[in-house]
Amino acid sequence: MLLLLLQFLQLSFILPMAMQTVYLKKHEGNAHNFVGTLSSAASAPWWSAFGSQSVHQGESCGQMKPFALELPNCIDQLAATKLSARGAEQVLGEGHTTQFTIFPDGCKMSDDAQKLQTTISLQSSLTDPHSRFEIGFSQPMLCAKYPYTDQFYGLFSAYAPQISGRIMLPLNMSSDDGPIYVNAKQYHGIIRRRQSRAKAVLDHKLTKRCKPYMHESRHLHAMRRPRGSGGRFLNTRSSINGNGKLGNEVHKTVGEQLQSSDSQSSEFLQSEVGTLNSSKETNGSSPNISGSEVTSMYSRGGLDSFSLNHLGSAVHSFANMIDGGRGMIIPPKWVAAAGNCYNLKV
Amino acid sequence: MADSDNDSGGAHNSGKGGKVLPRELDRFLPIANVSRIMKKALLANAKILKYAKETVQECVSEFISFIIDEASDKCQREKRKVINGDDLLWAMTTLGFEDYVEPLKGYL
Repeated sequence: MLLLLLQFLQLSFILPMAMQTVYLKKHEGNAHNFVGTLSSAASAPWWSAFGSQSVHQGESCGQMKPFALELPNCIDQLAATKLSARGAEQVLGEGHTTQFTIFPDGCKMSDDAQKLQTTISLQSSLTDPHSRFEIGFSQPMLCAKYPYTDQFYGLFSAYAPQISGRIMLPLNMSSDDGPIYVNAKQYHGIIRRRQSRAKAVLDHKLTKRCKPYMHESRHLHAMRRPRGSGGRFLNTRSSINGNGKLGNEVHKTVGEQLQSSDSQSSEFLQSEVGTLNSSKETNGSSPNISGSEVTSMYSRGGLDSFSLNHLGSAVHSFANMIDGGRGMIIPPKWVAAAGNCYNLKV
Repeated sequence: MADSDNDSGGAHNSGKGGKVLPRELDRFLPIANVSRIMKKALLANAKILKYAKETVQECVSEFISFIIDEASDKCQREKRKVINGDDLLWAMTTLGFEDYVEPLKGYL
Protein backbone atom coordinates (compact mmCIF):
# COMPACT_ATOMS: atom_id res chain seq x y z
CA MET A 1 0.00 0.00 0.00
CA LEU A 2 2.83 2.43 0.82
CA LEU A 3 4.35 1.85 -2.63
CA LEU A 4 1.01 2.80 -4.19
CA LEU A 5 0.93 6.10 -2.27
CA LEU A 6 4.49 6.92 -3.31
CA GLN A 7 3.70 6.18 -6.95
CA PHE A 8 0.69 8.52 -6.89
CA LEU A 9 2.79 11.30 -5.34
CA GLN A 10 5.54 10.80 -7.90
CA LEU A 11 3.09 10.92 -10.81
CA SER A 12 1.44 14.08 -9.49
CA PHE A 13 4.83 15.83 -9.30
CA ILE A 14 6.09 14.71 -12.70
CA LEU A 15 2.98 15.26 -14.81
CA PRO A 16 2.00 18.79 -15.96
CA MET A 17 -1.10 20.43 -14.49
CA ALA A 18 -3.37 19.59 -17.44
CA MET A 19 -2.32 15.95 -17.59
CA GLN A 20 -2.69 15.69 -13.82
CA THR A 21 -6.27 16.92 -14.11
CA VAL A 22 -7.00 14.38 -16.85
CA TYR A 23 -5.45 11.62 -14.74
CA LEU A 24 -7.57 12.53 -11.70
CA LYS A 25 -10.75 12.58 -13.80
CA LYS A 26 -9.90 9.18 -15.27
CA HIS A 27 -9.30 7.81 -11.78
CA GLU A 28 -12.68 9.15 -10.61
CA GLY A 29 -14.33 7.26 -13.49
CA ASN A 30 -12.64 4.10 -12.28
CA ALA A 31 -13.89 4.83 -8.76
CA HIS A 32 -17.47 4.86 -10.04
CA ASN A 33 -16.90 1.43 -11.58
CA PHE A 34 -15.56 0.17 -8.27
CA VAL A 35 -18.56 1.50 -6.33
CA GLY A 36 -21.00 -0.12 -8.78
CA THR A 37 -19.45 -3.55 -8.38
CA LEU A 38 -18.76 -3.28 -4.64
CA SER A 39 -19.66 -6.49 -2.78
CA SER A 40 -20.96 -6.86 0.77
CA ALA A 41 -17.78 -8.62 1.87
CA ALA A 42 -15.66 -5.53 1.02
CA SER A 43 -17.91 -3.04 2.84
CA ALA A 44 -15.47 -2.75 5.77
CA PRO A 45 -14.09 0.82 6.31
CA TRP A 46 -10.79 1.64 4.59
CA TRP A 47 -8.93 2.76 7.73
CA SER A 48 -9.23 -0.71 9.22
CA ALA A 49 -7.13 -1.96 6.30
CA PHE A 50 -4.52 0.71 7.07
CA GLY A 51 -4.58 -0.35 10.74
CA SER A 52 -3.65 -3.89 9.79
CA GLN A 53 -0.51 -2.64 8.00
CA SER A 54 2.98 -2.40 9.46
CA VAL A 55 4.26 0.30 11.83
CA HIS A 56 6.44 1.93 9.12
CA GLN A 57 3.47 2.65 6.88
CA GLY A 58 1.60 4.33 9.75
CA GLU A 59 4.62 6.52 10.46
CA SER A 60 4.81 7.68 6.84
CA CYS A 61 1.08 8.53 6.89
CA GLY A 62 1.68 10.69 9.96
CA GLN A 63 4.47 12.55 8.19
CA MET A 64 2.24 13.34 5.21
CA LYS A 65 -0.49 15.11 7.20
CA PRO A 66 1.36 18.47 7.75
CA PHE A 67 1.92 18.82 3.99
CA ALA A 68 -1.78 18.21 3.41
CA LEU A 69 -2.59 21.09 5.74
CA GLU A 70 -0.22 23.42 3.88
CA LEU A 71 -1.15 22.76 0.26
CA PRO A 72 -4.62 22.05 -1.22
CA ASN A 73 -3.12 19.79 -3.89
CA CYS A 74 -2.06 17.31 -1.20
CA ILE A 75 -5.69 17.10 -0.05
CA ASP A 76 -6.63 16.07 -3.58
CA GLN A 77 -3.88 13.48 -3.51
CA LEU A 78 -5.22 12.07 -0.22
CA ALA A 79 -8.69 11.83 -1.78
CA ALA A 80 -7.20 9.94 -4.70
CA THR A 81 -5.45 7.70 -2.19
CA LYS A 82 -8.81 6.96 -0.52
CA LEU A 83 -10.30 5.98 -3.88
CA SER A 84 -7.37 3.68 -4.55
CA ALA A 85 -7.81 2.17 -1.08
CA ARG A 86 -11.43 1.33 -1.91
CA GLY A 87 -10.21 -0.32 -5.11
CA ALA A 88 -7.74 -2.36 -3.08
CA GLU A 89 -10.52 -3.54 -0.76
CA GLN A 90 -12.55 -4.63 -3.77
CA VAL A 91 -9.63 -6.64 -5.12
CA LEU A 92 -9.16 -8.30 -1.74
CA GLY A 93 -12.87 -9.11 -1.58
CA GLU A 94 -12.79 -10.73 -4.99
CA GLY A 95 -9.82 -12.86 -3.96
CA HIS A 96 -7.70 -12.35 -7.07
CA THR A 97 -4.13 -13.70 -7.10
CA THR A 98 -1.37 -12.38 -9.35
CA GLN A 99 2.27 -13.23 -10.02
CA PHE A 100 5.18 -10.78 -9.89
CA THR A 101 6.10 -11.44 -13.55
CA ILE A 102 3.37 -8.91 -14.60
CA PHE A 103 5.08 -6.01 -12.73
CA PRO A 104 6.82 -4.52 -15.88
CA ASP A 105 3.35 -4.04 -17.44
CA GLY A 106 2.40 -1.73 -14.55
CA CYS A 107 3.64 1.30 -16.56
CA LYS A 108 0.47 1.22 -18.66
CA MET A 109 -2.49 3.34 -17.57
CA SER A 110 -5.31 0.99 -18.57
CA ASP A 111 -7.90 -0.29 -16.08
CA ASP A 112 -6.58 -3.84 -16.01
CA ALA A 113 -3.03 -2.62 -15.48
CA GLN A 114 -4.18 -0.42 -12.60
CA LYS A 115 -5.88 -3.35 -10.88
CA LEU A 116 -2.82 -5.56 -11.35
CA GLN A 117 -0.60 -2.75 -10.07
CA THR A 118 -2.75 -2.47 -6.96
CA THR A 119 -2.47 -6.19 -6.32
CA ILE A 120 1.30 -6.16 -6.80
CA SER A 121 1.72 -3.30 -4.34
CA LEU A 122 -0.41 -5.11 -1.76
CA GLN A 123 1.68 -8.28 -2.01
CA SER A 124 4.96 -6.39 -1.89
CA SER A 125 3.99 -4.58 1.32
CA LEU A 126 3.81 -7.89 3.18
CA THR A 127 7.55 -8.57 2.76
CA ASP A 128 10.20 -6.98 5.00
CA PRO A 129 12.91 -6.32 2.30
CA HIS A 130 10.34 -4.47 0.17
CA SER A 131 9.29 -2.31 3.10
CA ARG A 132 12.94 -1.30 3.64
CA PHE A 133 13.16 -0.30 -0.03
CA GLU A 134 10.01 1.82 0.37
CA ILE A 135 11.38 3.62 3.42
CA GLY A 136 14.54 4.55 1.50
CA PHE A 137 12.41 5.65 -1.47
CA SER A 138 10.30 8.03 0.64
CA GLN A 139 13.18 10.47 1.32
CA PRO A 140 13.42 11.87 -2.28
CA MET A 141 9.66 12.36 -2.22
CA LEU A 142 9.88 14.67 0.78
CA CYS A 143 12.80 16.60 -0.75
CA ALA A 144 10.98 16.93 -4.09
CA LYS A 145 8.08 18.80 -2.49
CA TYR A 146 10.08 21.91 -1.60
CA PRO A 147 10.89 23.08 -5.22
CA TYR A 148 7.21 22.74 -6.08
CA THR A 149 6.28 24.93 -3.12
CA ASP A 150 8.86 27.55 -4.15
CA GLN A 151 7.47 27.61 -7.69
CA PHE A 152 3.97 28.08 -6.31
CA TYR A 153 4.98 31.07 -4.19
CA GLY A 154 6.95 32.50 -7.13
CA LEU A 155 3.85 32.38 -9.31
CA PHE A 156 1.85 34.15 -6.61
CA SER A 157 4.39 37.00 -6.33
CA ALA A 158 4.28 37.50 -10.11
CA TYR A 159 0.59 38.43 -9.89
CA ALA A 160 1.04 40.99 -7.11
CA PRO A 161 1.73 44.11 -9.29
CA GLN A 162 -1.51 43.63 -11.21
CA ILE A 163 -3.53 44.07 -8.03
CA SER A 164 -2.31 47.66 -7.69
CA GLY A 165 -3.43 48.47 -11.25
CA ARG A 166 0.09 48.84 -12.69
CA ILE A 167 1.93 46.71 -15.25
CA MET A 168 5.71 46.50 -15.50
CA LEU A 169 7.13 47.62 -18.84
CA PRO A 170 9.80 45.50 -20.52
CA LEU A 171 13.24 46.98 -19.93
CA ASN A 172 15.06 48.98 -22.60
CA MET A 173 18.78 48.95 -23.23
CA SER A 174 18.85 52.75 -23.13
CA SER A 175 17.14 53.11 -19.77
CA ASP A 176 19.48 52.55 -16.81
CA ASP A 177 16.67 52.74 -14.25
CA GLY A 178 14.90 49.75 -12.79
CA PRO A 179 11.56 48.42 -14.07
CA ILE A 180 8.99 51.13 -14.84
CA TYR A 181 5.37 50.56 -13.86
CA VAL A 182 2.72 52.23 -16.01
CA ASN A 183 -1.06 52.49 -16.07
CA ALA A 184 -2.58 49.19 -17.12
CA LYS A 185 -4.86 50.95 -19.60
CA GLN A 186 -1.92 52.50 -21.42
CA TYR A 187 0.35 49.44 -21.58
CA HIS A 188 -0.61 48.26 -25.06
CA GLY A 189 -0.62 51.81 -26.41
CA ILE A 190 2.92 52.40 -25.14
CA ILE A 191 4.16 49.14 -26.67
CA ARG A 192 2.56 50.05 -29.99
CA ARG A 193 4.07 53.54 -29.89
CA ARG A 194 7.53 52.10 -29.23
CA GLN A 195 7.28 49.89 -32.31
CA SER A 196 6.04 52.70 -34.55
CA ARG A 197 8.73 55.03 -33.22
CA ALA A 198 11.45 52.48 -34.00
CA LYS A 199 10.00 52.09 -37.49
CA ALA A 200 9.96 55.88 -37.92
CA VAL A 201 13.62 56.08 -36.89
CA LEU A 202 14.53 53.53 -39.57
CA ASP A 203 12.47 55.37 -42.20
CA HIS A 204 14.10 58.63 -41.17
CA LYS A 205 17.57 57.16 -41.67
CA LEU A 206 16.66 55.86 -45.12
CA THR A 207 14.97 59.09 -46.16
CA LYS A 208 17.79 61.27 -44.88
CA ARG A 209 20.30 59.24 -46.86
CA CYS A 210 18.27 59.52 -50.09
CA LYS A 211 17.30 63.20 -49.92
CA PRO A 212 19.89 65.77 -48.82
CA TYR A 213 17.45 68.65 -49.47
CA MET A 214 13.90 69.47 -48.37
CA HIS A 215 12.28 71.03 -51.45
CA GLU A 216 12.77 69.84 -55.01
CA SER A 217 12.17 73.21 -56.68
CA ARG A 218 14.66 75.04 -54.47
CA HIS A 219 17.21 72.33 -55.10
CA LEU A 220 16.85 72.69 -58.87
CA HIS A 221 17.10 76.45 -58.64
CA ALA A 222 20.30 76.23 -56.57
CA MET A 223 21.79 73.79 -59.08
CA ARG A 224 21.15 76.21 -61.93
CA ARG A 225 22.89 79.17 -60.26
CA PRO A 226 26.51 79.88 -61.31
CA ARG A 227 29.19 79.24 -58.67
CA GLY A 228 32.67 80.61 -58.05
CA SER A 229 36.00 78.95 -57.28
CA GLY A 230 35.11 78.19 -53.65
CA GLY A 231 31.65 76.87 -54.53
CA ARG A 232 29.85 80.08 -53.52
CA PHE A 233 27.27 81.71 -55.77
CA LEU A 234 28.44 84.37 -58.22
CA ASN A 235 26.88 87.78 -59.04
CA THR A 236 24.90 88.09 -55.82
CA ARG A 237 24.39 91.86 -56.23
CA SER A 238 23.39 91.70 -59.87
CA SER A 239 21.07 88.75 -59.17
CA ILE A 240 19.22 90.80 -56.54
CA ASN A 241 18.86 93.73 -58.96
CA GLY A 242 18.02 91.67 -62.04
CA ASN A 243 15.66 88.89 -60.87
CA GLY A 244 12.01 89.67 -60.25
CA LYS A 245 11.64 86.51 -58.13
CA LEU A 246 14.13 87.76 -55.57
CA GLY A 247 12.24 91.06 -55.44
CA ASN A 248 9.08 89.10 -54.67
CA GLU A 249 10.86 87.24 -51.90
CA VAL A 250 12.03 90.51 -50.35
CA HIS A 251 8.49 91.82 -50.63
CA LYS A 252 7.06 88.77 -48.84
CA THR A 253 9.68 88.99 -46.10
CA VAL A 254 9.03 92.68 -45.48
CA GLY A 255 5.27 92.12 -45.50
CA GLU A 256 5.49 89.37 -42.92
CA GLN A 257 7.68 91.41 -40.65
CA LEU A 258 5.38 94.43 -40.93
CA GLN A 259 2.45 92.25 -39.88
CA SER A 260 4.44 90.87 -36.96
CA SER A 261 5.51 94.38 -35.90
CA ASP A 262 1.85 95.39 -35.72
CA SER A 263 1.20 92.63 -33.17
CA GLN A 264 2.92 92.21 -29.81
CA SER A 265 6.70 92.30 -29.58
CA SER A 266 6.74 88.83 -27.97
CA GLU A 267 5.10 87.32 -31.04
CA PHE A 268 7.72 89.01 -33.21
CA LEU A 269 10.41 87.33 -31.11
CA GLN A 270 8.63 84.00 -31.57
CA SER A 271 8.53 84.40 -35.35
CA GLU A 272 12.22 85.28 -35.33
CA VAL A 273 12.95 82.11 -33.35
CA GLY A 274 10.87 80.18 -35.89
CA THR A 275 12.96 81.63 -38.69
CA LEU A 276 16.16 80.55 -36.97
CA ASN A 277 14.81 77.03 -36.40
CA SER A 278 13.62 76.63 -39.97
CA SER A 279 16.98 77.78 -41.32
CA LYS A 280 18.78 75.38 -38.97
CA GLU A 281 16.58 72.51 -40.13
CA THR A 282 17.49 73.36 -43.71
CA ASN A 283 21.15 73.41 -42.73
CA GLY A 284 20.82 69.97 -41.17
CA SER A 285 19.10 68.42 -44.15
CA SER A 286 21.38 69.87 -46.85
CA PRO A 287 24.90 70.54 -45.53
CA ASN A 288 26.81 71.18 -48.77
CA ILE A 289 24.60 72.04 -51.71
CA SER A 290 22.36 74.78 -50.30
CA GLY A 291 24.61 76.01 -47.50
CA SER A 292 25.44 79.38 -49.02
CA GLU A 293 21.83 79.94 -50.05
CA VAL A 294 20.72 79.37 -46.46
CA THR A 295 23.44 81.73 -45.23
CA SER A 296 22.25 84.48 -47.58
CA MET A 297 18.61 83.99 -46.53
CA TYR A 298 19.57 84.13 -42.87
CA SER A 299 21.65 87.28 -43.21
CA ARG A 300 18.92 88.94 -45.26
CA GLY A 301 16.39 88.30 -42.50
CA GLY A 302 18.81 89.63 -39.92
CA LEU A 303 19.35 92.84 -41.86
CA ASP A 304 15.62 93.42 -42.22
CA SER A 305 15.09 92.97 -38.50
CA PHE A 306 17.96 95.40 -37.88
CA SER A 307 16.44 98.05 -40.10
CA LEU A 308 12.99 97.64 -38.51
CA ASN A 309 13.72 97.20 -34.81
CA HIS A 310 17.18 98.77 -34.51
CA LEU A 311 18.66 95.51 -33.20
CA GLY A 312 22.43 95.19 -33.23
CA SER A 313 24.01 92.47 -35.37
CA ALA A 314 27.69 91.58 -35.21
CA VAL A 315 29.78 91.07 -38.33
CA HIS A 316 31.92 87.95 -38.02
CA SER A 317 33.47 87.16 -41.40
CA PHE A 318 34.22 88.53 -44.88
CA ALA A 319 31.01 86.99 -46.25
CA ASN A 320 29.02 88.95 -43.69
CA MET A 321 30.83 92.10 -44.82
CA ILE A 322 29.64 91.41 -48.36
CA ASP A 323 26.13 90.93 -46.97
CA GLY A 324 26.52 94.25 -45.15
CA GLY A 325 27.36 95.83 -48.48
CA ARG A 326 24.19 94.29 -49.90
CA GLY A 327 22.26 95.97 -47.07
CA MET A 328 23.03 99.37 -48.56
CA ILE A 329 21.21 98.36 -51.74
CA ILE A 330 18.10 97.01 -49.99
CA PRO A 331 16.63 100.30 -48.57
CA PRO A 332 15.37 101.68 -51.92
CA LYS A 333 13.56 98.41 -52.71
CA TRP A 334 12.37 98.23 -49.14
CA VAL A 335 10.74 101.64 -49.49
CA ALA A 336 9.12 100.54 -52.75
CA ALA A 337 7.98 97.28 -51.18
CA ALA A 338 6.51 99.17 -48.23
CA GLY A 339 4.52 101.28 -50.66
CA ASN A 340 3.24 98.15 -52.39
CA CYS A 341 2.26 96.69 -49.04
CA TYR A 342 0.15 99.74 -48.22
CA ASN A 343 -1.59 99.43 -51.57
CA LEU A 344 -2.38 95.78 -50.87
CA LYS A 345 -3.87 96.64 -47.49
CA VAL A 346 -6.20 99.22 -49.08
CA MET B 1 8.46 81.49 -41.95
CA ALA B 2 8.00 77.94 -40.63
CA ASP B 3 4.32 77.98 -41.58
CA SER B 4 5.11 79.17 -45.11
CA ASP B 5 7.74 76.45 -45.44
CA ASN B 6 5.19 73.85 -44.45
CA ASP B 7 2.62 75.24 -46.87
CA SER B 8 5.05 75.33 -49.79
CA GLY B 9 6.16 71.82 -48.91
CA GLY B 10 2.57 70.66 -48.94
CA ALA B 11 1.87 72.31 -52.28
CA HIS B 12 5.06 70.81 -53.66
CA ASN B 13 3.97 67.34 -52.56
CA SER B 14 0.52 67.74 -54.07
CA GLY B 15 2.10 68.86 -57.33
CA LYS B 16 4.49 65.93 -57.57
CA GLY B 17 2.25 63.32 -55.99
CA GLY B 18 4.81 60.65 -55.17
CA LYS B 19 7.45 62.41 -53.12
CA VAL B 20 7.53 62.10 -49.35
CA LEU B 21 8.72 64.79 -46.97
CA PRO B 22 11.52 63.95 -44.53
CA ARG B 23 10.12 62.24 -41.46
CA GLU B 24 11.64 64.90 -39.21
CA LEU B 25 8.85 67.32 -40.14
CA ASP B 26 6.17 64.68 -39.72
CA ARG B 27 7.26 63.65 -36.23
CA PHE B 28 7.10 66.99 -34.39
CA LEU B 29 4.90 70.03 -34.20
CA PRO B 30 6.45 73.30 -35.41
CA ILE B 31 8.49 74.62 -32.51
CA ALA B 32 7.37 78.22 -33.07
CA ASN B 33 3.77 77.28 -32.35
CA VAL B 34 4.80 75.30 -29.26
CA SER B 35 6.84 78.26 -28.06
CA ARG B 36 3.95 80.67 -28.55
CA ILE B 37 1.61 78.48 -26.51
CA MET B 38 4.21 78.24 -23.74
CA LYS B 39 4.69 82.01 -23.74
CA LYS B 40 0.95 82.56 -23.43
CA ALA B 41 0.97 80.96 -19.98
CA LEU B 42 3.86 83.09 -18.70
CA LEU B 43 4.46 86.77 -17.96
CA ALA B 44 5.18 89.18 -20.79
CA ASN B 45 8.88 89.55 -20.01
CA ALA B 46 9.54 85.84 -19.41
CA LYS B 47 12.08 83.90 -21.47
CA ILE B 48 12.21 80.18 -22.25
CA LEU B 49 15.41 78.25 -22.88
CA LYS B 50 15.74 76.39 -26.15
CA TYR B 51 16.03 72.92 -24.68
CA ALA B 52 12.87 73.53 -22.63
CA LYS B 53 10.98 74.31 -25.83
CA GLU B 54 12.41 71.23 -27.53
CA THR B 55 11.50 68.99 -24.59
CA VAL B 56 7.91 70.25 -24.51
CA GLN B 57 7.78 69.89 -28.32
CA GLU B 58 8.74 66.23 -28.03
CA CYS B 59 6.31 65.57 -25.17
CA VAL B 60 3.38 67.23 -26.92
CA SER B 61 4.09 65.45 -30.21
CA GLU B 62 4.37 62.09 -28.44
CA PHE B 63 1.08 62.65 -26.60
CA ILE B 64 -0.72 63.46 -29.86
CA SER B 65 0.71 60.36 -31.54
CA PHE B 66 -0.31 58.27 -28.51
CA ILE B 67 -3.95 59.36 -28.71
CA ILE B 68 -4.16 59.16 -32.51
CA ASP B 69 -2.67 55.65 -32.58
CA GLU B 70 -5.38 54.43 -30.22
CA ALA B 71 -8.14 56.14 -32.21
CA SER B 72 -6.70 54.88 -35.51
CA ASP B 73 -6.55 51.34 -34.14
CA LYS B 74 -10.25 51.53 -33.27
CA CYS B 75 -11.13 52.82 -36.76
CA GLN B 76 -9.16 49.99 -38.37
CA ARG B 77 -11.01 47.42 -36.26
CA GLU B 78 -14.35 48.89 -37.33
CA LYS B 79 -13.26 49.13 -41.02
CA ARG B 80 -13.65 52.92 -41.10
CA LYS B 81 -11.30 55.41 -42.73
CA VAL B 82 -12.30 58.70 -41.04
CA ILE B 83 -11.33 59.48 -37.44
CA ASN B 84 -14.04 61.66 -35.90
CA GLY B 85 -14.37 63.43 -32.57
CA ASP B 86 -16.08 60.52 -30.85
CA ASP B 87 -13.11 58.31 -31.67
CA LEU B 88 -10.76 60.77 -29.97
CA LEU B 89 -12.98 60.96 -26.89
CA TRP B 90 -13.17 57.15 -26.77
CA ALA B 91 -9.38 56.93 -27.08
CA MET B 92 -8.96 59.39 -24.20
CA THR B 93 -11.30 57.31 -22.05
CA THR B 94 -9.59 54.04 -22.97
CA LEU B 95 -6.14 55.37 -22.08
CA GLY B 96 -7.24 56.73 -18.71
CA PHE B 97 -7.59 60.44 -19.57
CA GLU B 98 -11.23 60.73 -18.50
CA ASP B 99 -10.72 64.27 -17.19
CA TYR B 100 -10.07 65.50 -20.74
CA VAL B 101 -13.39 64.29 -22.13
CA GLU B 102 -15.68 66.88 -20.55
CA PRO B 103 -13.70 69.99 -21.66
CA LEU B 104 -13.14 68.59 -25.15
CA LYS B 105 -16.81 67.93 -25.82
CA GLY B 106 -17.15 71.63 -26.54
CA TYR B 107 -14.61 71.36 -29.37
CA LEU B 108 -15.24 67.93 -30.92
